[in-house]
Amino acid sequence: MTAATLVVGEAHDGSLSGATREALTVARAVTAPGDVVGFLAGPAARSAAADFGRFGVARVYFAEDPKLDGATHSVSAHLAAAAAEDAGANLIVVGGTALGRDIVARLATRWNAAVATGVTSLVRAGEALEVRRPVFGGRATETRRLEGPHAAVAVRPHAFAAAPEAPVAPSLSAVALDRVPAALWVPKRLGIEVTARGGGPSLGDASIVVSGGRGGRAAENFHLVEELAASLGAAGGASRAVTDAGWRPATFQVGQTGKTVSPQLYVAVGISGAIQHLVGMVSSRTIVAINSDASAPIFKVADYGIVGDLFQILPALTAEIRRVRGQ
Amino acid sequence: MEIVVCVKPVPDPETRLRVGADGTSVDIEGVKFVLAGYDESAVEQALLLKEATPGSKVHVVSAGPAPRTEEVLRASLALGCDTATWVETPPAVSPDPVSAARALARAVAATPHDLVLCGKQAGDDEAGLVPAALAELLGIPDFSLVVDLRWDAAASRLRFQRSTETGLERWEVSPPCVIALQQAWNDPRTAKLPAILKSRKLPIAKVPPDAGAVPTGASRAAKFELPPPRTGAKMIEFKTPEEAAQKLVQLLKEEAKVFP
Repeated sequence: MTAATLVVGEAHDGSLSGATREALTVARAVTAPGDVVGFLAGPAARSAAADFGRFGVARVYFAEDPKLDGATHSVSAHLAAAAAEDAGANLIVVGGTALGRDIVARLATRWNAAVATGVTSLVRAGEALEVRRPVFGGRATETRRLEGPHAAVAVRPHAFAAAPEAPVAPSLSAVALDRVPAALWVPKRLGIEVTARGGGPSLGDASIVVSGGRGGRAAENFHLVEELAASLGAAGGASRAVTDAGWRPATFQVGQTGKTVSPQLYVAVGISGAIQHLVGMVSSRTIVAINSDASAPIFKVADYGIVGDLFQILPALTAEIRRVRGQ
Repeated sequence: MEIVVCVKPVPDPETRLRVGADGTSVDIEGVKFVLAGYDESAVEQALLLKEATPGSKVHVVSAGPAPRTEEVLRASLALGCDTATWVETPPAVSPDPVSAARALARAVAATPHDLVLCGKQAGDDEAGLVPAALAELLGIPDFSLVVDLRWDAAASRLRFQRSTETGLERWEVSPPCVIALQQAWNDPRTAKLPAILKSRKLPIAKVPPDAGAVPTGASRAAKFELPPPRTGAKMIEFKTPEEAAQKLVQLLKEEAKVFP
């Protein structure tokens, strides 16, 4: 197959995001060398798109305009479709972000194409593509064949290594904004409040997550969980009991009615392991459970368990991690 | 305000999963289907908006096979939705996300809609594709990751926040649009028995699937697997908290290799 694969990128502070670099890894694995094409839209897209060159992408498209600051995902999807047409791409690969998912949904609908999100494996199988993806909150895995002239794939965060640096000087081509239907420009973003996260990564993005549960007993004890998270460079999470009790905001909730995470390491502190919580974290690569109750169901899904008083274990663990990391 | 809320029946999350006889899908024999968790919150959000805005109506729509799709529509009526529309699709298999969006778009297009509410994803296929696909088909904007949704009746504007990777965005949007709710910050109500009994007799409008539509059958299930049963955690023996910490960090470094 000689057609191109388009990676729709996202940038943070002018550099390609980790999610985009993971998408590049996936695109490379199923595309002839040189046929991976980059695209990026935004108010300063030209320079951010050029960052694709740092990872060996020689052909890059971009859509740059001040009004793309605060444009909707719908606009980005239409610009990505235009870039795909210009590039002759029949496969779109995006990172596992909300933007990525919305883009592949719209492109697949426009092209009547096969689409898969949360993909943990992508290979060619004859004329078709074959993907694997966790379903049922990570309690099962499905394999799907994507057939037809086009396909759109969003990769699962942290399932692939980020593309390494291999700098080239990319050619840059502009995509005109008039290829977006006028109706999609209408909504107005009033403002952004950057959430105070204590410097840590966001829950969905983090490669390590430390979550606290009811075992913490009170909101004022949660700093023990947060200090452990900080020592690991981890995002903080919580069980539903904790967010329901108002110890932490609802945005911290991991589980069926909260966020689904799949980090490299998930540390569950004082969480019993109700199914509600398990479906949100069971596909994490390595799971550590710390709980005072040896019969807590969390130990059935964990890889490593410590039965003990978290008020003693957490400070010791935080100190040990700081020691080995030289903090 | 006319609010459409899209719902999907999914296997009860407490269900023990089994592989179907064909090896490509989940075995649904004897499985209880329920309203998907995020959809339950979307119904709750729709009802809250209705209660805050006199003269509003909530229309619930679903696309899927009998009998489970009809059951979740009736459950939504029992919760307080005003009308229900069902696009019945072939038996057994739930439609793939883009096909479902096509079917739902037919139902939504036939229903007055200032706002189309969806849960962010369903707990079975976890695809999260329907909201944006539906918006594409309806030719309107869609917003994902939405929290704290309000309707400003005087200005005829929706106001909401998006909880993104970088922070909270505040938006003001003219209807119509599709909104995918990020998570269940609300506490969905449960239906009362008289309402459940009454819902059994309420009419459900039926919209046929579009026979002329090109099927998006380009994505085919090839295999469905359950992970090997977890053997349970390796329990760390220790005498002091410091010893527990040292042993755990060593295992994470040397065995799990997740810790630098």
